[in-house]
Amino acid sequence: MGAFFRLQWSGILVGIIAGGIALALSAPAFLSEFNLFVLLRSICVSLLVAYAQMVMLGVGQMNLSVGALGGLVAVVTGGLMDALGVPTLPAIMIGVAAGGAAGFVNGWLTVRTGINGFIVTLATASAFAGINLGITKAVPFYNLPADFVAFGNGRVGLFPLLLIVPLLVTVVLALFFARAVPGRHMLAVGGNAPAAQLSGVSVPRAIISAHVLSGLLAAVAGVLAVAQLGSAQPTIGSDWLLISFAAPIIGGASLAGGAISIVGTLLAVVLIGLIQNAMVLVKVDPYWVQFLLGALILAAVWFNRYRAIKVGEI
Amino acid sequence: MDPAPRRTLTSLLLRGSTQAGLFVILVVLWVVFANLAPGFLSKFNLNSLLRSVAVDIVVGFAQMVVLATGGMNLSVGAIGVCAVMFSGYLMQVLGLPIPVAIAGTLALGALLGWLNGFAIVKTGVNSFVVTLASASLFSGGMLILTKAVPLNGLPAEFGAFGKSAVGPAIGSMPAIPSLAVVALAIGLGLYVLFKHSTLGRQILAVGANARAAEMSGIPVDRTIVFVHALSGALAAAAALMLTARLAAAMPAVAGDDWLLPSFLAPVIGGTALSGGIVSVVGTILGALLVSTIRSGLLVLEIGNFWLPLFLGAFLLAAILVERGRAAYVAREQARRA
Amino acid sequence: MALTVDKASKSFPGVRALKDASLELRSGEVHALMGENGAGKSTLIKIITGVHRPDGGRLLLDGQDVLFASPRDAIRLGISAVHQERNLIPRFSVAENILLENLPRRTGLVDYARANAEAKKYLEMIGLVVDTRTEVRHLSVAQMQMVEIAKALSHEAKVLLLDEPTASLTGEEADALFALVQRLKAQGAAILFVSHKLEEVLAISDRVTVLRDGETTLIGEPMANMTRGRLIEAMIGRAERIAVVRPPKAATGAVKLEASGVATAAGHRDISFTVRRGEILGLYGLVGAGRTELARALVGKDKLSGGTLSIDGKPAVIRSVEEALKRHRIGYLSEDRKYEGVVLLHPIRFNVAMTIWDRLARFLGFQTAAGERRATEPFARQLEIRTPSLEQSVGNLSGGNQQKVSLAKWLAAKVDLLIIDEPTVGIDIKTKAYIHELIGKLADDGLAILLISSELPEMVALADRILVMHEFRIVDGFDNDRSYEAMSRKVMGAIHRHSDEAVAVE
Repeated sequence: MGAFFRLQWSGILVGIIAGGIALALSAPAFLSEFNLFVLLRSICVSLLVAYAQMVMLGVGQMNLSVGALGGLVAVVTGGLMDALGVPTLPAIMIGVAAGGAAGFVNGWLTVRTGINGFIVTLATASAFAGINLGITKAVPFYNLPADFVAFGNGRVGLFPLLLIVPLLVTVVLALFFARAVPGRHMLAVGGNAPAAQLSGVSVPRAIISAHVLSGLLAAVAGVLAVAQLGSAQPTIGSDWLLISFAAPIIGGASLAGGAISIVGTLLAVVLIGLIQNAMVLVKVDPYWVQFLLGALILAAVWFNRYRAIKVGEI
Repeated sequence: MDPAPRRTLTSLLLRGSTQAGLFVILVVLWVVFANLAPGFLSKFNLNSLLRSVAVDIVVGFAQMVVLATGGMNLSVGAIGVCAVMFSGYLMQVLGLPIPVAIAGTLALGALLGWLNGFAIVKTGVNSFVVTLASASLFSGGMLILTKAVPLNGLPAEFGAFGKSAVGPAIGSMPAIPSLAVVALAIGLGLYVLFKHSTLGRQILAVGANARAAEMSGIPVDRTIVFVHALSGALAAAAALMLTARLAAAMPAVAGDDWLLPSFLAPVIGGTALSGGIVSVVGTILGALLVSTIRSGLLVLEIGNFWLPLFLGAFLLAAILVERGRAAYVAREQARRA
Repeated sequence: MALTVDKASKSFPGVRALKDASLELRSGEVHALMGENGAGKSTLIKIITGVHRPDGGRLLLDGQDVLFASPRDAIRLGISAVHQERNLIPRFSVAENILLENLPRRTGLVDYARANAEAKKYLEMIGLVVDTRTEVRHLSVAQMQMVEIAKALSHEAKVLLLDEPTASLTGEEADALFALVQRLKAQGAAILFVSHKLEEVLAISDRVTVLRDGETTLIGEPMANMTRGRLIEAMIGRAERIAVVRPPKAATGAVKLEASGVATAAGHRDISFTVRRGEILGLYGLVGAGRTELARALVGKDKLSGGTLSIDGKPAVIRSVEEALKRHRIGYLSEDRKYEGVVLLHPIRFNVAMTIWDRLARFLGFQTAAGERRATEPFARQLEIRTPSLEQSVGNLSGGNQQKVSLAKWLAAKVDLLIIDEPTVGIDIKTKAYIHELIGKLADDGLAILLISSELPEMVALADRILVMHEFRIVDGFDNDRSYEAMSRKVMGAIHRHSDEAVAVE
């Protein structure tokens, strides 16, 4: 039992279970198939967004352009399908590839110019948002292929079809960071870059790869968002920044680098989704979500620090 | 001894301060834009530019004071929007006189900033995380309280101040908008703070080397809390200026819109992200530069939509140029040593 | 196999770190590299490990000239170093840290079973019994060091450089390390043992090279012909023996600080002493004795966990450095000059005025750079700080001048008690002598001084009374009779007695 509580994310799991029970008791609609479907669907995009930032925290960097990048991919994909009539699969592949390329630009700029990644991605976020606006002129792309929209709405019982993607990504990322050499190198660089370098790990390559990975994840999130909404809105991604940091941090990631938790991030996203769902069911002002999210971050970070001090890590 | 340095314009540019270089770029841009689009120098355009840059300058100041200690304040926009709505509440709902409302709003900003500082110092958590969270807390709280309802019935004098100008109009040069004067006055105050006061020196010492500062008897924690409170007050000041300009208190303003500009102005202007160095003049020039480009592109009808792209690209270019220049100067100094 | 450094020279802006330094390392021997702090050891190590390139001289491996473009080149050629800063990834396992360079793979993924097995092999070679799956951050300092040695072995290191390896180890752990060193030497490794601890060097090395002020004064001397006296002379030189010895003075000043039974969270117990105005109380001890930690507690940075402090005759509790300075007029000249003593980014006048800003300010905190210059100029002159102007960034000054700036700051503050921690580390001889003279004068003018130093000659030249600290306790105290041989015997004797007692207890 003690071992369970020493796990970073045990608190979050307890919170989810407790919250779920409380919600089930106070709002019977919570356990309805439709509501659970909506809940699960809402975490699809958030989870990928959270992973996009988590990857950066793993290597000891940040990506402030996750939202703008994802949003840009969303409109590019939508635009390809709507304006150029490109079929679904090729459009998605081009969009995701574009996301990877954008990530590469982020990484390359950070590494080559030596400018702090914070500033670089702040600047590219603006650039991507600009390209987004320039392409769409603030008008969404509505005319999307039927199969694509169907995938976005489809479900098997309470499981949205969309859920396949984040679940698959979770497994791949878990494997990547636990067993794949590039993944281990990224975490080595995040944990102690000079030591990693002395052991032959290429720090620039790790940083650029992480940015590319982050871009790909944000891109997939963008595509899923379009599927979910049924249209490519130019506002996709505009509110992703907060959750991209909140979930990994609540899940136990360290801003210093090299310490991330996939399970923790996943649970944090579920918790946040649960809170948002609760707000809707209990008919509370949706604005409470933002407020609670901020409080949650502070509570989680403070709690993690408190626990680390108690365990003697600090 | 080295031979007399070549006094070419380029060498002057290269060896001069960041701020001098910025000023030159600014002048060049104005000349270019004025030639390409005569409408750029129109009274209307200049007024509009100066009024909007006044707000951006103070937003930049709000971030600059925190950057001075090596931290950052991601809740500048959130405090801003809280201040906007609070000022509207004080003036319209409570009907308080304008000076009281101003004082109350500044106090709110300082209080919210103080909360940030207190949390950072007491919990030892990074300012990035704390202000990321508090941004959410503050704006969420504001939305809950105001239900996102804008307040349009502000006292007429307040909006009038936002449109007013000081001094005579000389030929085609407009009078200086009052808001710009306010921004400059705040800038002057900050300049005196950092260059000529104990507190300012302590802030810079903490930013440059907090350990050495503490071991020399400087109260590091108190300094950090102060700086965040000041940042909050400045964000509130910018919010007041914005509200005056719009003549209405709207919950849709500030917030995330202020994030990029708050960093852009100080960083382009020579304030170090790592702390210990600030430039009030640089922040003003940085904000002017951004507004000039924005205004120029608008007048040239290049389209509002592409603007963020140019801004982002420009920020990177500006920093790159500055780094290159600083590296050049350092190499020169090493060679001469 | 032989690694040879042939007349290496290296200079940095303002200081010449190495001049014609030579060293020859052979397989199957433990070669000690000695020198006081600032003698150039660190620079020489960096040249050997590929961090720096020498300005002059050559580096030869088995007779062939080698040029290291980066530390990786040195590692690839078989030169591994274990430094004082840990070069491990905290959240990775022991196995992964050891094998990070070349993780064993199977079908593209890391094969942890093989990694653990291989790592275990290396751990057995060095005698470390630890689960290879343990995250390195959960290990003790001694264990982490062993892991780094295991890592060096996995790189098939022919040269193993150990940089002050016993700095944070207990006596037992140090013994285990020495046993390992002997085993490795028997297996043919060339071991460069860098240390400033005489006893260790005498105990385990075969030959010794000594650096003093950037030059090698002893090159590859066999330990068989070595005596403590010869080693000490090589390190500090008879010519450099402190000429200015402060004459003995009767302790007549008022008691500024009295500590009774002081204990700290860091581990100090039962610390009691008094410091009077006009007196220099020396606190001598080996590295790791706990002197700096005590100083930090006295100056308010760390908390006391027991005992009492009495300042100017009244009981006092110091909660912060600010309080120590402003209320009790106590200052601390930090041991870590570059990162704690000065703010490198800012000018001299800024740094010196840091302690007196509130005094310089007129109304509402207003003051000017000119005012700072006026106020700090006398101190800069008094300390003979070599600079074209007070606007010069402290980062551009030499080590000696930086220390003067740090000291000037406390003179400006007009403190009553100055705790001086290792004042002349890494400073050229002339400035060193100057600072010693200055410390003496300060005491003569009435300042109470607590002098922390691990340089016994410095201590004997300046202190009126010498307290000996060992493992966070004060083990003895002696009046200083100004005779180096006598004091050295008494001080070393006290330390040995205390270590013997500690061992006996265990």
